[in-house]
Amino acid sequence: MSTTSRQRSGGPNHDGFLRHAGFRWLKVALALSGVAILAYALIDVQPRPNGGSWYGYTLGTIATLLILWLTLLGVRKRAMTAGRWSLKGWTSAHVYLGLSLIVIATLHTGFQFGWNVHTLAYALMMLVIASGVWGIAAYAFVPRMLSDNREELTQPQMRDALRAIDRQLNDAAQPLDPADAAIVDRSIDQDPFGGGLWRRLTGHDPRCATAAAQEAIRERIGSRPDSATDPLDRVDALLERKAGMLTRLRRHLRLKAMLEIWLYVHVPITFALIAALTAHIVSVFFYW
Amino acid sequence: MTFLLRQLSRTAEGREIVRATKVERDTVTIGRASGSDIIVPDLAVAPQHAVIARKGARRISVTAETGFKVEIDGRATSAGEIDVTRGGEVVVGDARIMVARDGDGAIVLTVTRTAVDAEADDESVFSLAHVLPGKRPMVYVLIATVLAIFLVWPIWHFARPADPQGGRIQADRSWTPGPLSAAHHGLEGNCKACHVQAFVAVRDTACVSCHKDVHDHAPPARLATARSPLGLGGRILASWAGAFNKPDRGACVDCHREHEGAGPMPPTPQVFCADCHTALKDRLADTRIGNAGDFGTVHPQFRPLVAAAPGAQPVLARVTIGPGLREANGLKFPHMLHLDMRGGVARMAQTLKGRYGFSDALACADCHKPTADGARFLPVDMERDCKMCHSLGFDRIGGTVRTLRHGDIAQMIADLRAMYRSTGPDRPLELGGMARRRPGQYAQGQVYHAWFGAAATRPGSADAAIRQVFSQGGACYDCHVVTPPGTNGSIDWGVVPVRQPSRYLMHGWFDHAAHSTQSCASCHAAGKSRDAADVLVPGIETCRSCHGGEGSAAKVPSSCAMCHSYHQKQDAPWRSRRRLSPAATPEAALPGGGRAP
Repeated sequence: MSTTSRQRSGGPNHDGFLRHAGFRWLKVALALSGVAILAYALIDVQPRPNGGSWYGYTLGTIATLLILWLTLLGVRKRAMTAGRWSLKGWTSAHVYLGLSLIVIATLHTGFQFGWNVHTLAYALMMLVIASGVWGIAAYAFVPRMLSDNREELTQPQMRDALRAIDRQLNDAAQPLDPADAAIVDRSIDQDPFGGGLWRRLTGHDPRCATAAAQEAIRERIGSRPDSATDPLDRVDALLERKAGMLTRLRRHLRLKAMLEIWLYVHVPITFALIAALTAHIVSVFFYW
Repeated sequence: MTFLLRQLSRTAEGREIVRATKVERDTVTIGRASGSDIIVPDLAVAPQHAVIARKGARRISVTAETGFKVEIDGRATSAGEIDVTRGGEVVVGDARIMVARDGDGAIVLTVTRTAVDAEADDESVFSLAHVLPGKRPMVYVLIATVLAIFLVWPIWHFARPADPQGGRIQADRSWTPGPLSAAHHGLEGNCKACHVQAFVAVRDTACVSCHKDVHDHAPPARLATARSPLGLGGRILASWAGAFNKPDRGACVDCHREHEGAGPMPPTPQVFCADCHTALKDRLADTRIGNAGDFGTVHPQFRPLVAAAPGAQPVLARVTIGPGLREANGLKFPHMLHLDMRGGVARMAQTLKGRYGFSDALACADCHKPTADGARFLPVDMERDCKMCHSLGFDRIGGTVRTLRHGDIAQMIADLRAMYRSTGPDRPLELGGMARRRPGQYAQGQVYHAWFGAAATRPGSADAAIRQVFSQGGACYDCHVVTPPGTNGSIDWGVVPVRQPSRYLMHGWFDHAAHSTQSCASCHAAGKSRDAADVLVPGIETCRSCHGGEGSAAKVPSSCAMCHSYHQKQDAPWRSRRRLSPAATPEAALPGGGRAP
């Protein structure tokens, strides 16, 4: 007791939102889920558990209010405050209460699923929760991988390095004949940030012009007698450096994508969920 | 002949620098090679890409190297001419060459390098935002899509009049919370059949629009009295249900829940019956039904319908099963005698084994035949079930044994009389008809006198045989209750009609086929019955050795719906019908006829 209070009072507080206030919201969420499960087991809903029983409506109401409150984090996060209702505490509650929805909403379904708007709302909710879990995991692991990959290069430095190599490539390729020059030109012209979501997430570019140029130039070099002044050798060396830089950049982009992708699921699907939830609730009362 | 080359470039700060050179020749070379007059360090440009040559005072020609192109005034071409007085533009790779003439007659070629697309220096290219649409547009599109498909479309579908062809896509199918039961499968997708009005819970009127002949359980007023008062929780729930415009208690949907999955509708749970019936007598004092809340614990003893007095129109009454319960059924039949393993009956069974397939003694099935559905037993038929041993033979003609007619007294008497040829004289024709007869015919020698005299003086030797058949030791008397003739000496004998009910428990369903794993004797104490009047219907304690209430630990937990129907029908109740024919819809007829005879 005394140790924890000393930790809390003395020195900067390093607890993340997961450990906030000694896992207060984890405990709340576990208690909520436990009560829901216990009640589900004890209440004998006839003919079988479903969302339309009184307990089903209760769970559904709790889950709806929770979802709306969880969505409010998007508003709340714009005001960073400390204290009892700090943003960190709010985020902690967001995470744990959000996870407790897995239990509450699943019990609300009574394990009846189908191809309908009701299960759609459930599936969207689970997708939102899963993306949130991914986000927490990504925030826990990806930053370290990012910094390992960068090796103290900043993003602008990374880009400047590529540009420098491109400039050198442009110079080095001047003596080349048009065919070879075109190959190098393609590598210079290709936007290293191009490609779609898939290329970002995989970190692979099957149509990488630099790799293609390297391959083509090596083929030329291989068939030529070795001479100290061959401009192709310089181009080859530069392409090699560029390929290495590109690998690092792509890994960086991939890690950044993994860090960011969850929000592109979490936020839009949340609103799709609220829309589906609206349809779910209206439909239930419409065909009451 | 001079070309004036002006090369424009920009400093890092954006300041413009002009480098001017003169070329005192008739041609100017353009290319990537270092010896060119205009060097274009663009890798897309050939080392010697094009040549500009003077053609007279006013014109120049631009010729690209074989296989390459230049752009003259916006058109890509391999060669072209420009009127220098009018001016023009030549583009080679990323170099733009403006052609003009100055006042001295020199041709001015102004070269600018089009800016290589300076990549935007903002950091956003590193972010996913660079390759994905913004979150906000995604949100708007998703919300609009979901609401349109799952809210607006179904409501629009509901508001439209029904399509007689029914060919339209059922937009509100996405609203169904689960498949309908087998009985209502035909209504799948036809939501309006039950959900008649928007925001109004399903009412009984929707049900009875199809189920027109459903019998009420009891008059509504009595039902209302019988219902148990709600507890605190029940009152809270009822007030909520009322606030949300749910129908009152006792609606069809209280018991018949839909959208609970395909297949048969689940049977109504015991609690729906127990609510009223557990303490029914407290609230409905005049009821004749005993309290029943759970088969294992709260259920009255069975009250079979038995005949108190036999006859063609027997006096029937429901009597509680107890020791010595008897029924006047008009038969004399000791079960004990017939089922004895060692007695004369057993001996006879052994003798007739080869012919009738008997065992070493008689078994129940030798005489009792089940109905087609197996639920009950057919009435015992003398010719089929008794005659193997109990012969009614009375005469032999040739090799054929003549038998007395069973079940038809008049025919039997006639047959006996015929055998003894003991009929009276034929009635003269004159005695028939409606013609008026004159007095005097009764005189001696006249028709009447002759006929009555003959009829009276020919006493039948058959009478004795007839009397004997109906008397102790006679064929009829042994098994039947015989009514003696009214007047002495008459042969007006009668046999009391036999009552063989196939169902004793009129308000509870029992299915013998469901109990085929049990021996008959495990429920019916026939082996100890010395009298046909013994009612062998087992009491509730026999049933309880296997059956208990719905939630009990009995071998066969049995809810009310296993034996009872709420809607007062003669059919098998809900749960048993499912067992008899799981695939059949509850309303469909049962294979083999599940209805009580």
